[in-house]
Amino acid sequence: MSIKERIKELVKEAELYRSQSLLNQSKEKYLELLKLAESDESTSKNKKLINDIKRRIKSVEGEINEIEEADKKSPELSEDVQNLISSLFSFSQNQATAAIEGAVALAKFGQYDKAVKELERLVKEGPIPLQAAINLLRCHLSLASPEVALNQYKRWESREELGKGDLKYLQKFLDDHFKKKGIDIQLIEAGELSSGGKAVEEKSDDLIDLSSIGIQFPEGKFKGKMWEFDVSFQSGNTVSIIIPLVKKDMAEIFKKGLRLPNIQCTSPIAIFNGSGVVVQNSNITTGPKRGSFNVDIRIDGK
Amino acid sequence: MAIFNAKDRIIECKIVFYGPGRCGKTTNLEHIFKAGKKYTKSDMVSINTKGDRTLFFDFLPIGLGKIRGCDVKLQLYTVPGQQKYNSTRKLVLKNVDGLVFVADSLEVRREANILSLKDLQDNLAEQNMDMFQMPVVMQYNKRDLADDGIPILPIEVMDKDLNSRLKAPYFEASAFKGKGVGETLKKSIQITLIYLNKKLKWSQ
Repeated sequence: MSIKERIKELVKEAELYRSQSLLNQSKEKYLELLKLAESDESTSKNKKLINDIKRRIKSVEGEINEIEEADKKSPELSEDVQNLISSLFSFSQNQATAAIEGAVALAKFGQYDKAVKELERLVKEGPIPLQAAINLLRCHLSLASPEVALNQYKRWESREELGKGDLKYLQKFLDDHFKKKGIDIQLIEAGELSSGGKAVEEKSDDLIDLSSIGIQFPEGKFKGKMWEFDVSFQSGNTVSIIIPLVKKDMAEIFKKGLRLPNIQCTSPIAIFNGSGVVVQNSNITTGPKRGSFNVDIRIDGK
Repeated sequence: MAIFNAKDRIIECKIVFYGPGRCGKTTNLEHIFKAGKKYTKSDMVSINTKGDRTLFFDFLPIGLGKIRGCDVKLQLYTVPGQQKYNSTRKLVLKNVDGLVFVADSLEVRREANILSLKDLQDNLAEQNMDMFQMPVVMQYNKRDLADDGIPILPIEVMDKDLNSRLKAPYFEASAFKGKGVGETLKKSIQITLIYLNKKLKWSQ
């Protein structure tokens, strides 16, 4: 292949990659071309050709920079698309949890203002204001600043929008976060810790609201297999799952006292591993789920 | 997991188009949208950034009508292919029922394909899903570029790189020209519905 043909081929490839927005690949091809043109006797003195290649490399680099800059900002989406995101990415069957999941999804997709608005509404009107409040603080901490989260907390405190127990829990949540990040702000005073600390501690041991749990069966027919269950109800660290009658063989494995060493807990804000113990397994005798099994599991290890 | 309403006999399932950045996932969905307008009542939603790159996801809902006495509704998604958007990919993958892995036939994208497939496997595993148990269809896209003299990978190489363990059905395609897109989707729907029937017994 002549040098002329090789140059043509490389230009064609580089331009094709550029047209497909494969800009790094395009740049690499142009660099390969430049090296070739500069090293070959017949082209090394062709300033026009070499300058043209250099100009194209610069132009591709410009496009790469533009894309990197554009990626730094999340676009503000239309209300319709924001609503679509909320509905597509809320998976829980529990309406209150689903509403929080939808708002958290908005934050994950960079729709900070809308997420904040929605979480503020859920703090005021939702049935689980504490969970909404924690998510709102998380949203401020990850997308805005610690000061914004702190101001939010102070507003709740001054307006008495949340109960005392919830406020203490949030206070502890923020303090822990600041401590972990090395931020020099402390909300809980030393005296307060000794008098009211116990209540906070007890509450903070509570599990965050879970939408589902994945259980790896420690024994029986399904030994070693991981199975995901929706959480139908949660009270503190105890979650209930429902197993339909058709899966009776599975339900029967969950005998009272059975230890479950590997549980994957999924909440709207995090996925984490834990362990637990079966505290009850009963047959549902009334209602639409009649015949199904209600299994209560106490999560005791995080 | 798909939502099956046994009372009204409606099943809603989710198929995600996965693959490396710029491999043609959105182009696939655009072609499906244009070609299948009669099946869809709403527009395709695309959230792009500079250079027509998918920033969050594309979404296309499709009604397939009655299959074995059940109203089948499909939700097609694409993920953003660029490596840095992994948290978005995880979110889009949640509750997925079927997968189309769109691989880029360009020689320069060989490694990107392999990394993306590994990323898919890892992201599924995080949600307790096993890629090898899922209904997956492979699509080797951009085959038409060979006609322009652009170096592309032979099918055998792609199949060995990506599909030797998975053994998924595969299709050659040029999503840009609409070739192979319909076949890929048809196969994906077919194996996803069979997979869901085993789990949910939705078919009469």
